[in-house]
Amino acid sequence: MLQDLINALSLGSIYLLFALGMSLVWGTVGILNFAHGAIFMFAAFVSSVITDQVRLPLPALIVIGAAVGALLSVAVQLLAFQPIMRRAKDHRSGEMQILIGGIGVAAIPLAIAEEVTGSNPFGFAGSSYVTSTFSLLGVRVTSTQLMVVAAALVIGIGVIVWLRFSRSGLALRSIGVDPETASLMGVNRRVLSLSTMAVAGGLAGLAGVLLTYNLGAITPESGDVLLIKAFAAVILGGVGSMAGVIVGAYVLAVAETIVLTQTSGLWVDAVSFGFIFAVLLFKSEGLFGRREVRRT
Amino acid sequence: MIAWYDTNIILIQSTFVGLLMALSLQVPIRFGVFSFAGIGCYGIGAYVAAIMTIRYEWPAAAAIGAGMLIAGVVGYLLALTVRRLGGLYLGMATIAFDLIVGVLAVNGGDLTGGPSGLFGALADVTTLHLVLISAVVIGLLAYSERGAIGRRVEAVREDPELAASMGIDVRRHRQAAFVISALLGACAGGLNVLLRTTIAPTDIGFSLVVLALTMIIVGGSRSWAGALIGAMIFTWLPGFLEFSGQWQKVIYGVIVALAAIWVPGGLLGMMTDAYRSWQRSRRDAGSGDGDRTPLGSRAEGTPA
Repeated sequence: MLQDLINALSLGSIYLLFALGMSLVWGTVGILNFAHGAIFMFAAFVSSVITDQVRLPLPALIVIGAAVGALLSVAVQLLAFQPIMRRAKDHRSGEMQILIGGIGVAAIPLAIAEEVTGSNPFGFAGSSYVTSTFSLLGVRVTSTQLMVVAAALVIGIGVIVWLRFSRSGLALRSIGVDPETASLMGVNRRVLSLSTMAVAGGLAGLAGVLLTYNLGAITPESGDVLLIKAFAAVILGGVGSMAGVIVGAYVLAVAETIVLTQTSGLWVDAVSFGFIFAVLLFKSEGLFGRREVRRT
Repeated sequence: MIAWYDTNIILIQSTFVGLLMALSLQVPIRFGVFSFAGIGCYGIGAYVAAIMTIRYEWPAAAAIGAGMLIAGVVGYLLALTVRRLGGLYLGMATIAFDLIVGVLAVNGGDLTGGPSGLFGALADVTTLHLVLISAVVIGLLAYSERGAIGRRVEAVREDPELAASMGIDVRRHRQAAFVISALLGACAGGLNVLLRTTIAPTDIGFSLVVLALTMIIVGGSRSWAGALIGAMIFTWLPGFLEFSGQWQKVIYGVIVALAAIWVPGGLLGMMTDAYRSWQRSRRDAGSGDGDRTPLGSRAEGTPA
């Protein structure tokens, strides 16, 4: 029972690290980035390729992963989302096209990774970091799990504090509510969106490296699965609410763990899809979200 | 010609199945409903047709019809459930619906064959049937894009409030979009499973949504012709890209990304634009019937 709780906690932390960046961008810049899963996977993939050549410790791989994620994310924003937004008639039709453009862009890193690995799982066999396992009260905890949970909580709370109390956080929230007025108040939307995308990509890269350490290896396709789960976490917590994402990620992980341990079938995936459906139908603003502001 | 047909029969069949599948996403978009539920209904149609054929040995037409009937009812119920959702949220809810159909198929036990799916759905469906069905569907859709019906659908898409104030029942039209999409998806799924004789949960996953979406994005989402162009391109492109060897998938991704970003109207939109500007330049060069074309061009293709 306690073991299940520990597992749910580390699973939820991975969801959280992944979903934070997605929610940050969606709730403020107004972009639902469908390439987020591909960025996450590709950052882990590049780290894996590099550590196959050079034996690197864990912190170095985390830095590489976050940097690759941030660069890719900025590239997607510059090459795909900005041209779409510039040409879109209004935010509503732009939203759809960004969704589709994200799916299209995501196919490129996925294809490259599949090509190089032959669709096989890849890991960090070349890394000098070795996971150590502790046994506490009959519960097995790995050092990677502890790191994942700590990173998720620290970064999650850090983002909340930053958004709420810093000037740049205030500026970012203001473009989420009314981009036009925010611009008039001297907020540089372009720079702010780009740096937000960079932060989100960096978080995705971090999550990719940590998840790969945690699982041993991941497949190129794992980004797609996480994307849907993260979407469920964001929707559950409420779009635009960072506290909501934290709660959403852990609620989803606990629910999945319960389903996994209590049922015999392969119903785990139905949990996230069911959450998406139920929340959208009955409480579309989520647990913590404000009623959606239609941006124009 | 006969030899070419024989060697490419699988691709020819896939083109028409792909067309019906792409249409199941294109029709709701034309109604202004961003629903991906057609793919879930593709799964329903495929599984029902396979079960009816394997277990009860129903004839092909009845098996596919049963799948379409069930999918149509599910589509109608779905339309009632998600009626308050719009835009992005509707899109994601219907993607969740598609994936739930996949999970049900995995957990269906003996009925759906679990993770390995169903095998041996043998039926006497031929390419001719497929072509005839596609022709009928295209005929009906082409009719619905013209005249009074076409204008009504366009009004529902572009400005629902205005449409409602003109006495158009917007809610009914949206429900119709869901049901038509469900019928088309189930028809494509049923035909495909009876032609290929197998169906597995992995056949109806997220990648199928992406494939159908790419078809109408690259082809053009304005009209059935766009879906046809898209279905042809994405069925035959992998064969033509063989020369590029290992980088085939990367090229594929680049094409989709470029189309999604720079050509929002798809190839069809590009061609109609080119044709129109050619007409305009010819008119400017001399002839007199100046006021006919601008009117026509406005009615036929306002941008999304």
